[in-house]
Amino acid sequence: MRNEELIRIFMENASKVAAKPIRVEGSNKLNDILDEILANETSVYCPAKTELEKSVIIDVERRVEALENATSSVEEVVAGIAETGSIVVSSANGRALQTSLLPTYHVALLSADNIFASLDEFFKIMGNDLPTNVTFITGPSRTADIELTLTIGVHGPEKVSILVI
Amino acid sequence: MKKPGGQSINFRDNARQALQNPTLRRAMRHATETFRNKRNDAIDGIPFEEWREQASELRKSIIGNINGYVDEFAVNATKRGAIVHRAKTAADARDLITAILKDNGAKSIVKSKSMVTEEIHLNKCLADLGFRVIETDLGEYIIQIAGETPSHIIVPAIHRSKEQIGQLFCEKLGCDFSDDPAVLTDTARKLLRQEFLSADAAISGANCYIANTGSIVLFTNEGNGRMVTTLPPLHIVVTSIEKALPSIDDLPLLMRLLPRSATGQVLTSYLSIISGQRMAYSTMDTKRLHIVLLDNGRSEIARGPYWEMLKCIKCGACMNVCPVYGMIGGHAYASTYPGPMGVILSTLLNGLENAHPLLDATTLCGACAEACPVKVPLLKLLYELREMRVAKGYNNTLEGVSMRGFGIAAKNAHIFRTGQASAGALWPLAGILSPVTVNRLPKPVKRTFRRRFS
Ligand code: SF4
Repeated sequence: MRNEELIRIFMENASKVAAKPIRVEGSNKLNDILDEILANETSVYCPAKTELEKSVIIDVERRVEALENATSSVEEVVAGIAETGSIVVSSANGRALQTSLLPTYHVALLSADNIFASLDEFFKIMGNDLPTNVTFITGPSRTADIELTLTIGVHGPEKVSILVI
Repeated sequence: MKKPGGQSINFRDNARQALQNPTLRRAMRHATETFRNKRNDAIDGIPFEEWREQASELRKSIIGNINGYVDEFAVNATKRGAIVHRAKTAADARDLITAILKDNGAKSIVKSKSMVTEEIHLNKCLADLGFRVIETDLGEYIIQIAGETPSHIIVPAIHRSKEQIGQLFCEKLGCDFSDDPAVLTDTARKLLRQEFLSADAAISGANCYIANTGSIVLFTNEGNGRMVTTLPPLHIVVTSIEKALPSIDDLPLLMRLLPRSATGQVLTSYLSIISGQRMAYSTMDTKRLHIVLLDNGRSEIARGPYWEMLKCIKCGACMNVCPVYGMIGGHAYASTYPGPMGVILSTLLNGLENAHPLLDATTLCGACAEACPVKVPLLKLLYELREMRVAKGYNNTLEGVSMRGFGIAAKNAHIFRTGQASAGALWPLAGILSPVTVNRLPKPVKRTFRRRFS
């Protein structure tokens, strides 16, 4: 499948599960888009470990070092799955899984090269030697435990944006 | 008729009572309808039949070698630093879990939803021993503060209206009354966040375990499952032996079938694959992972004539389409697992002597078997167990006569179909309903499911 087609299917399916995919053309645009979507956030956490994360600029007043104190987080995720519109995070290289869990707003940076067409394709690449924790995130946290009424945002984020770079 | 002894479930009285509760009736009608529609939408436009055939074959091969997979899993999970325990009985599991908690000095425990811990009545045991146990799945949290048991395996508080939940929160948590699900959810979120961060230990279930990688897998939506498996310093997984998948390559099939059948989702918000023990959050202490694999009679079921029940992946689809469950809800079954799969599993786990009245909880319409994503032959198993019930002398003579007829018919597919078409005659629940209620019951299908699809 052509890369553009894969990106399109991924973004379409991510929207269906209430995530907000945004296409970033050229990495110089990344910080403009982040400024825009994080405009109302008072505290932002970004691990600054990968190259992509290091290119993220967050003003000092808003940047927090402790994840528990952050209302939002920006981090690179390891993969996107077009079939389900999911993003994948993992504990490999000592990454904290809670970056995509504790803040109410999770901004995922996804390199377009890391989008897989299907679940099978992803698992084939992963092999059997799995990191301690691999988590697929498909939209924001939700519940339907009260009268099956969908409520977005329970213990995990209520908003998930995916910047496809 | 004299029973050979033992205290059996009073299903008829429970069902009668449930039918007289208008709030429950409304809640159940709404819930099962919503579930059915969502699931039907979710399987539209996908090769569902092909996938369920594959899943059925896969689950069949697993149950045929269940202890082999338990062994392989134990070896691989141990390599990854997990400590694997096998519990033969519910009591063994409770003792193991209590000992692990005591050894680690844990007093406060956060739990994410686990039907296996309901099966072994873990919460009561831990509470009696002085542990503080908090359920963190919203539905489980609601029934925990209400002092109830789950009435559905996926949405445990499905029997309650939002007004009832609002009143409950008002009384028990001292907050202002609201019947807005978003407000109630937010109340729970705030109260539980502190519990996640301060708990000494976590107990979770697992939707499946993977033999060739030693991983356990959790499908969740709220994020509580992720909290409990990543925050406290000790994590105990309690699951049952039949939940094996041979290889990580088998997981995509389960990922495609389970959420669609359970909640009509393409995938749950979160799916975590946990392999071995992990590093602690914010300190570098290694955290401990214990995995308790419960047998509780399953090895024996796997070897016996009703082994197909163990193919079940606990999606709840069969209860959502069951006309009986849809009218009376889960509590009337007075057992951990309700609905069609619950009737059969409870009979197998707890014995005919205790559970035989549950075999009345069916219209024999076959909707359950048609909905099942792994093709558990629920209707066939119901017939066979009812035949067994007659043979063991647990029920009325009228059915005895009909069932003997069935015994012959079941051996021949053509006659079996004819028999199904006249299942109305064997409509056991009708007898306990008032004439008014009977008129409002969905009539047994004229054209059977089997015929419509073949
Ligand atoms: S028997 Fe089938 S439909 Fe019922 S819970 Fe199990 S897997 Fe789901």
